[in-house]
Amino acid sequence: MLTSRAGVALLAAFVASIVVAQVQAIPGQPSVVELLVKWTPLLAKGFLFNLLISFFAMLVGTLAGVLLGSARISPRPPVRGMSWIVVQFFRNAPWLVLLFFVMFLLPFEFHVGGTTIPFPDWIKATLGLALPIMANVAEILRGAVQSIPTAQWDAARSLAFSRRQTLWKIILPQCVKRMLPPWMNWYAILTMATTLASIVGVSEVMTLTLRITNAEGRTDLLIPIYSYVLLWFFVYCWPISLMTRRLEARYEVR
Amino acid sequence: MRIGKGWLGLSAIAALALAAAGPAWTQTDTIASVKQKGKVVVGVKADYKPFGYTDPSGKIVGLEVDLADDVAKRLGVQIELVPVIAANRMEFLKQGRIDLMIATMAYKPDRAEVIGIPEPFYYAGAANVFAKKSSGLKAWADLKGKPVCAIQGAYYNRRTGEEFGANLVVFKGVTEAMAALEAGNCVGVVFDTTFFAGIMGDAKWADYAMVLPSIDPEPWGVGVRKDDPKFAAYMSGVIKDWHKTGYLLALEKKWGIPQSPYLVEQQAKFK
Repeated sequence: MLTSRAGVALLAAFVASIVVAQVQAIPGQPSVVELLVKWTPLLAKGFLFNLLISFFAMLVGTLAGVLLGSARISPRPPVRGMSWIVVQFFRNAPWLVLLFFVMFLLPFEFHVGGTTIPFPDWIKATLGLALPIMANVAEILRGAVQSIPTAQWDAARSLAFSRRQTLWKIILPQCVKRMLPPWMNWYAILTMATTLASIVGVSEVMTLTLRITNAEGRTDLLIPIYSYVLLWFFVYCWPISLMTRRLEARYEVR
Repeated sequence: MRIGKGWLGLSAIAALALAAAGPAWTQTDTIASVKQKGKVVVGVKADYKPFGYTDPSGKIVGLEVDLADDVAKRLGVQIELVPVIAANRMEFLKQGRIDLMIATMAYKPDRAEVIGIPEPFYYAGAANVFAKKSSGLKAWADLKGKPVCAIQGAYYNRRTGEEFGANLVVFKGVTEAMAALEAGNCVGVVFDTTFFAGIMGDAKWADYAMVLPSIDPEPWGVGVRKDDPKFAAYMSGVIKDWHKTGYLLALEKKWGIPQSPYLVEQQAKFK
C-alpha cells in the first residue's frame, strides 16, 4: 500500500543519499546533482516508455480479461472449466516467466504478403505483461458478478429478462463500480512491474539507469539515481493508490 | 530395370530440385539483403564503457560503435544500432533481428557452433580480480570461500565459483559490483581486464589493482549468422584491414584505453 508517509520517507532517503554523495565527492568531478540533471531528459524518455507499456498492457489485458471473465461465469461447464484453467495458469505464473516466454516465442517481424511489419520488443513486453492482467481482471469481473445478490437474477428472470439482458442491463452496471478500485490497484502494480521489461532488453527506465551508471562509472551515483527513479514511480502511482482507496471507501459493501 | 531407371530419374530430379531449393532455404546472404534494405543493423553493447555506452542524448557511442560505422561505410549503407546484452545477443543474430554483432563477445567454441565468428579477432581480453592492494590475494585459489563480486553473463564466473571456490555475488552492472567492492561486501571484483585497465588511472581506485595473474585470455570476435559464409569472409577481410591499417590501435587511443599487446602483435602479423 502506497501511503504519503512512504512518500516522505522516500523523499528523505533521496535527499539524504544526495547529501552523502556530495560530502564524499572528489573535488574536480561533477557533482551527483549535476549528473542527475544531465541525465534527466534521457530518464524521462525511458519513464514515458514505461507508462506507454503500462497503458497498452492494461488496455489489452482489460479487454481480454472481460472476455475471459465472462467465460468464467458462463452457464456452460466446459467453457467455465477451460477458462478456469487459463485464469489459474496466468494468475499463478511468475510475470517474468511469462515475459520471457512471450519475448522468445514471438517473431521480431511479420511477413504479410510482400511487406514486412516490424514487431518491436516493447510491444512483445506489453503483450507479456497483459497476460497476468487479463487473468486478474477476469477474476475481478467474476468476483464482482458473484458479489451481486443472486436474488436479483431471480427477480430479473421473473420480469422476463433473458440471461444476457440481466447480465448487461442489471448486473454489470453495478459491477463496474465494484471493479474500479481493484482494477486501478492492478494498474498501479502493473506500472511498477513494467521495469521487468529491462531484463528482456527493452530500453525502459531501468535499462537506461543501468546504462547511465555504466557510462558514468561513478559508484556514488548508484543510490541517488535509483532513489530518483523510485521517486518518479511513487509520484505517478501514489495518486492512483489514493484515489483507489477513496473509491473503495465510497463503494464499500456494508 | 525400367522401373529402376524411372526411379533413378525421379530421384535425380528430386535431388536437383532440392539442391536448387536448398541454398535458398538454408543460406542467407546478409550482404545482398543489407544492400537491398539500404541499412545494416548492428548489435552493440550500450552499457560497457568505452566499447559501447550511452551518452546523455540516448545515443550509443564507443569503440565498437565506430567499428560498426566503419562496416556500414564500407558496405555503403546506413546504420541502425540495436543495444544488446550478453543474454540476448546471439538470439538476436539467429532470429535476424541484427545482421552483425560487435558486442564485446569472447570467442568460445560453443558460441561458434551457434553463430559464425569470423577470424581474425579484433580485440582480446582476459579475466582478473580487482581488489585492494592490501588484500593479500596472490593466487586464484586464495579466493576460496571468500565473497567475490561478479557481473552477469561473464564466461569466467563459473570457473571462479566452481574451480576456485569463490562465493560469487553476481550483479547486473559493473558499477553496482564496484560499489559493492567499495562498501566492502566482497574482497574483489572478477571482470574483464580491459575494463579495469580503463579505470586504473582514477585517483579513486589508487589503492586497488588487478591482484591476480590474468586467466582465460580470450579473443573478441564479431558475430554473423552461421549459414552465411559470404558475409563471414567479408568481415574477415574487414577485420584484417582494421589490424593492417592500425585502425584498431587508433581507436584504442581515441577512447583512452591503454594499448593492448594483442593489437600490436596482430598488426605486426598482418603488415
